[in-house]
Amino acid sequence: MPRIVVTGTGVMATPGTGPEAFEEALWAGGASGEQESTRTPGYTFADIGEFDPKPWLGNKGVRVLDRGTRLLCIAAQMALTATGLSQESSEQGDVELGLICGTMFGGVHSIASFDWTGITDGPSLVSPMDFPNTVINGPAGQAAIKHKLRGVNSTICCGLASGLYAIDYAADFLRFGRARYLLAGGMEEVCEEAAEGFERMQLASPTHKARPFATDRDGTLPGEGAGLWMLETEETALGRGVLPLLEIMGFGASHDAPASPGYQVRGEGGVLAMRHALENSGIGPEAIACIIASASGSRTGDAMEALALREVFGARLADVPVCAPKAALGECMGASGALCAIVAGMALRRQEVPPTAGFTTSETGLKLSALPQKIDGEYGLINAFSCDGNNASLVIRLWT
Amino acid sequence: MKRVVITGIGVVSPIGTGKDVFWTALLAGTSGIRPVASFDTSRFPVHVGAEVSDFDAKDHLERQKPESMGRASQMAVAAARMALADGQVRLDGVTRSRVGVAMGTTSGEPIFVEMYNDAKKAGGEAGGKSEAAADVFAKYPCHVIPAYVAAEFGLRGPAIMIPNACAAGNYAVGYAFDQVRSGRVDMMLAGGADAFSRIPYMGFARLGAIAPERCQPFDKNRKGMIPGEGAGVMVIEPLDAALARGAKIYAEVLGYGTSCDAHHMTAAHPQGEGGIRAMAAALAQSGLTTEDIDYISAHGTGTPTNDRIESHAVRTLFGERAPLVPMSSIKSMLGHTMGAASAIEALTCALALDTGWIPPTINHEEPDPECGLDIVPNHARKTDPRVALNNAYAFGGNNASLCLARFEAA
Repeated sequence: MPRIVVTGTGVMATPGTGPEAFEEALWAGGASGEQESTRTPGYTFADIGEFDPKPWLGNKGVRVLDRGTRLLCIAAQMALTATGLSQESSEQGDVELGLICGTMFGGVHSIASFDWTGITDGPSLVSPMDFPNTVINGPAGQAAIKHKLRGVNSTICCGLASGLYAIDYAADFLRFGRARYLLAGGMEEVCEEAAEGFERMQLASPTHKARPFATDRDGTLPGEGAGLWMLETEETALGRGVLPLLEIMGFGASHDAPASPGYQVRGEGGVLAMRHALENSGIGPEAIACIIASASGSRTGDAMEALALREVFGARLADVPVCAPKAALGECMGASGALCAIVAGMALRRQEVPPTAGFTTSETGLKLSALPQKIDGEYGLINAFSCDGNNASLVIRLWT
Repeated sequence: MKRVVITGIGVVSPIGTGKDVFWTALLAGTSGIRPVASFDTSRFPVHVGAEVSDFDAKDHLERQKPESMGRASQMAVAAARMALADGQVRLDGVTRSRVGVAMGTTSGEPIFVEMYNDAKKAGGEAGGKSEAAADVFAKYPCHVIPAYVAAEFGLRGPAIMIPNACAAGNYAVGYAFDQVRSGRVDMMLAGGADAFSRIPYMGFARLGAIAPERCQPFDKNRKGMIPGEGAGVMVIEPLDAALARGAKIYAEVLGYGTSCDAHHMTAAHPQGEGGIRAMAAALAQSGLTTEDIDYISAHGTGTPTNDRIESHAVRTLFGERAPLVPMSSIKSMLGHTMGAASAIEALTCALALDTGWIPPTINHEEPDPECGLDIVPNHARKTDPRVALNNAYAFGGNNASLCLARFEAA
């Protein structure tokens, strides 16, 4: 099987726009936005706020794109440009270049708005231009048109694990020779419908502060963003003179198959996901230099992840640096896995994990810090565990 | 790489629930198109749809309650249960962390967004908007469909939703094929599901895409598609495992191909460029040429443009042989079951390969010279096909074609 490598990154998230700003902000240790959103009054979440898509997307055809699609298209533009694969000067676009987008809600606000017009003004007054934004793969389809991506175009929905599933899905397409270059990652926007649901499900922190793994954690904050990697085979990258940054190793996934919603407190699904990911990477837990955790501030979810980590890593866990970036990102749902993977890649390249913003103390015994922590090794583990039963883990390696 | 086969079939459709009921109705040319019953269409310009009428979720759910999930999920769980039973799969004899679920959909469970809006319109807390918001979070996002299937049967392998709209079923079967042939899992349940609902109906009506009475794919006077609903699920496992347990093998999965037009959100590329690439990629991966194809299950929605462009794509790829290959659209009977469509069409291909019968395109009156293919008009035909090609096209210019073959023991 060919080796799958990362050659570029695009990221649009609360800590920063673009990989450099994002990295700088994360390592500086700033926490997620704790202010009430101006877009969605009454809700506090990690909000990117208003942004101007023009510098990345120009003017043409942007008006019809909803918020999430704009986030996705901007991240795609960054990764395409960074890897010399922008199709701007190509008339037709590349049939070997595609996009795999993880998301949880897709454009739920577009869907709700379309329906709202229908039930208030009447079905004859809905806009036919808005209808394609109501299908869940609308954002990925729009991004393909915008950036002329004519290869495979798939949307992947696996709850909070969507982003990691999307990366694995893309890696398989490359391994099986079905595409040459794939943008892969996740996208999520926070809107009224998602934010209200978050509160009503009692997932949101009443103190409006996500404190992953902290003893006094009381819930999470919804967040939004888009994160994409450009993936290709090592042979393709080297063949076109591009030096890979990272290698995608193994992926593992397990569903909790719960009879009722909620985290599986014994963490068995998380253990299975991590063990499969390690096994598929051909390494043992002792090779892992850092862990980018899924923890978001949930009392049960974070405890479950800590338990699963102890089961897999044993006594050595106390020595493995852990970072929970959702302290800074919020819970970006379908984008979380991809954003955490991007953080892991940056950590391996710096040989240092970023701070878990605002971290104080934890009953879990994990090696967490409010400051950056040095690491020594080439493999990183990323988790995306979910109250919806999805558990996914990915191992990546520093490409040398 | 392992060889991969389909060993169980479950289906919920507008022409009947259960493999045998469905297949008999399909070969008989039964239409599932009726006046819409699930919501009021008085403010719409059209009033027909293809709803499932013989389905009671209570008959199919054991571990979970029907009211805990939306209708697409109910139909998906039901189709999965029927597929497992049809395949005589004994779940107590398998490692459940090595059995996964891959599903497709177009809209997921939009009813929960509609209920949220209805509550918002009704006003304030009295309208129950907050309760509805909780359901938007917990029951709307489309990952719930494979999750409910996994939960019903305690399946702990990967559970993935690939909501690639009306081509989603082929993507789900393709994903399952890759997982099984590479040995990552021992078995997959794969298919698609969509429930009839006002959001897609409103959208297709506004596009002027819905036919007033019936669906007539490839007919000169076709007037459009008819939205429908349903679910189709297949048991997919390695050939050696199927043979070892003495399972009935409906068909072998040979390969699939995908592409994106990157042309327009709702209109296919005028020359079917992406459709041709998807078919060619499926054939190439399967080690086949167009000469090998004995049956094409068309996307065939019944809209003037889809059928013209799809015919053009087939003629371009198949050349002189194109008119000799039977190509039917079961959407003439089922309407367009959205995310379930290509899954139901894939299992239809499997049944065609197994039984030797290919289903008709009904409501055919006048051939369209712009199509010009053998669409198996009005009556099923016994042709004993060996290899079938299942085409599916979707919003976003998204295309997927799947190759299935009759399994012949050496």
